[in-house]
Amino acid sequence: MKRSHLRHAVVAAAAALSLTTMAARAADVDTKRLLEADKHPADWLTYHGSYKSWHYSGLDQINATNVKNLKVAWTHATPRSTRGLQSFPLVVDGVLYYSGSFNQLFALDGATGNLIWAYKQKLNEDLVAKQTHSPYNRGIAIGFGNIYMGTLDGKLAAIDMKTGKLNWETKLVESEKLTVGFTGAPLLVKDKVIIGSQGGEWPYRGPIFGVDANSGKLAWTFFTVGGNDESDPARKTWGGDSWKTGGGGGWMAGGYDPKTNTVYWGTANPAPLYDWGGADWKTTGARPGDNLYTTSVLGLDPDTGKVKFFHQELPHDAWDFDSAVGEFVMLERGGKEYIVHANKGGFVFVYDRNLKVENVWQGVKNINFVKSIDPKTGELIGRRDMAEGKHEALCPYIAGGYSWNSGTYNPGTGLYYKVANEWCMDLEVVKTTPILEPMAQLNIGSNFTVNKTTPDGGKARGHVSAYDPFTGKVKWEVEYAQPPLASLLSTKGNLVFVPDARGWLHALDARTGKELWSHNDGQGHNGGIISYMAKGKQYIAVATGWGGLAGDDYKALWGEPWTSMPTDQGALVVFGL
Amino acid sequence: MQQRLVATLGFVLGIGCCATAVAQISGPMSSGYKPSTAQAQPSTTQAPPVAGKDEKGLDVNKLFAGTCGWCHSNGGRTAGKGPQLMGTTLTDAEIASRIKNGKPGAMPAFGGTFSDDDIKAIIRYIRDLKES
Repeated sequence: MKRSHLRHAVVAAAAALSLTTMAARAADVDTKRLLEADKHPADWLTYHGSYKSWHYSGLDQINATNVKNLKVAWTHATPRSTRGLQSFPLVVDGVLYYSGSFNQLFALDGATGNLIWAYKQKLNEDLVAKQTHSPYNRGIAIGFGNIYMGTLDGKLAAIDMKTGKLNWETKLVESEKLTVGFTGAPLLVKDKVIIGSQGGEWPYRGPIFGVDANSGKLAWTFFTVGGNDESDPARKTWGGDSWKTGGGGGWMAGGYDPKTNTVYWGTANPAPLYDWGGADWKTTGARPGDNLYTTSVLGLDPDTGKVKFFHQELPHDAWDFDSAVGEFVMLERGGKEYIVHANKGGFVFVYDRNLKVENVWQGVKNINFVKSIDPKTGELIGRRDMAEGKHEALCPYIAGGYSWNSGTYNPGTGLYYKVANEWCMDLEVVKTTPILEPMAQLNIGSNFTVNKTTPDGGKARGHVSAYDPFTGKVKWEVEYAQPPLASLLSTKGNLVFVPDARGWLHALDARTGKELWSHNDGQGHNGGIISYMAKGKQYIAVATGWGGLAGDDYKALWGEPWTSMPTDQGALVVFGL
Repeated sequence: MQQRLVATLGFVLGIGCCATAVAQISGPMSSGYKPSTAQAQPSTTQAPPVAGKDEKGLDVNKLFAGTCGWCHSNGGRTAGKGPQLMGTTLTDAEIASRIKNGKPGAMPAFGGTFSDDDIKAIIRYIRDLKES
């Protein structure tokens, strides 16, 4: 055999072996691989990057020195991108998977962008047309050969990751009656797919589900409003029958600590959002009492769904500052393990792994729904409870001091990077009654208007801040005239990527905040960003496409370019050197 | 909407049935916060957990504060996520069509929720809107 023939044969054999290995490994995303996600930065295996929720990439081919050479490698236009592209890609063995509006799924070659397969969930489109928090999907989970996706009409679907064919689907929420379904990403923990329903302003009881990852059989349900039965002490924290329509839910993916076998999940606010009970909320109003387990962080047993411990961040949340936003950043310092969790109200809670409060710090400047939160106990000090009638300049605005997209922790700098929003609102609290028939409707409890200025004398705005995650001490801060609404990514290459609302993707020096590179993607960002490796090369993938419940406010607040920005387009844009 | 009380009870009971069908869950322990269980007694001022309209018809002000105001700010007087409704140049027929059919990605379809009389009441409310 000639040398060249021999080389070809070896290459062919290697390629065949590589394909075989890829196929074998692709079906082998299991607990072990998920637990070791940080050791394999070529992949991006869960919504939050790993169970540690760092949104950090250990890749450094692209770094602070060469990022100036970053260019678009490929793009994928996402069909039917109503309300933009809000999802988070995952990558396994060089194949990139992501979801789009109307529960579409795509599998693409991570190096070239070539389509491997596309999947469209069969939806009840009449129902979708009646939904307010729809038709976006924010992310997926992967494992056991499946892509797991919650659907707008209340199902959990498992799609074969090799073929793009539906393996099974399980109906979990009666969306035809309750209007809402699922938009958030599931979390795979051992053999359970855990997913939380939408809730909050919807008059229901916001369940979180554990589903068998292989069979699709429902294993457990946990109601975030009032618990599962009358013996649950949470039931007594709702006056009268208010627990039956109390909102709640868990609309974003949580985290997991394998050492204690605990799933951490943040819950949404109670309904109505604004309670006319005012200062007498313990005994009167729409929902007298603490309203457990709304606006709480839960420690759940993933096998049974039982609550092991919890902390209610805002007892009787009267401001729609739920705990569903905020990733569970798993950290270690001085031999002790912590969880850092941001609340929509603009405070960041530091817990031990049993959810005992270790510290609370304020990351947003304009806050007046409370005067402070006791850093030792988590107790709210100086609550601003609003009775029926008009109230001016409540801060933050309903869209949150921290919105639903994620920050990032970089172990190299030891800093936690997060977008903070400075904005406020006027409102008139009104007594409402929940609408349940013929299908549930929003129950807000006020008319409100966003303000263009803030009490500190500034304008409504945002900033990306680099914090000490334990104390909140700011290392650096970059202000943006409009809050970026997308997630952040930090990398081992000393970079922090900020996808902004105008359409610019910025690369900042993680150590100083200095801008090193930027690129205009042509439309605002309101979704995820990851880094991965395919065929030996590092890429950055970012979701582009504007729209959604926070983004729609930008027209009234800032006019152009958002007045003219399309809200029915989306694309995944991928960068490489 | 007149039969909402009965329907709502059925709906709530349905939820209760679902709850009992899943695994029994014992009481949790809170490490960081102890709820005050004595505080939440049934309230005499709490609105009944049923929807709808009183004998005078649909209370559109409440409807906006509950549902529509999510997008139509300040009761429809100010542009928010959705457009300002006060002073709209749309005809009654166009407003009715938008309420019934919605607008993809912007406004849900409420045709199955509101009767023609309800929609007329909503249009009257919009036409009567004044600066607050």
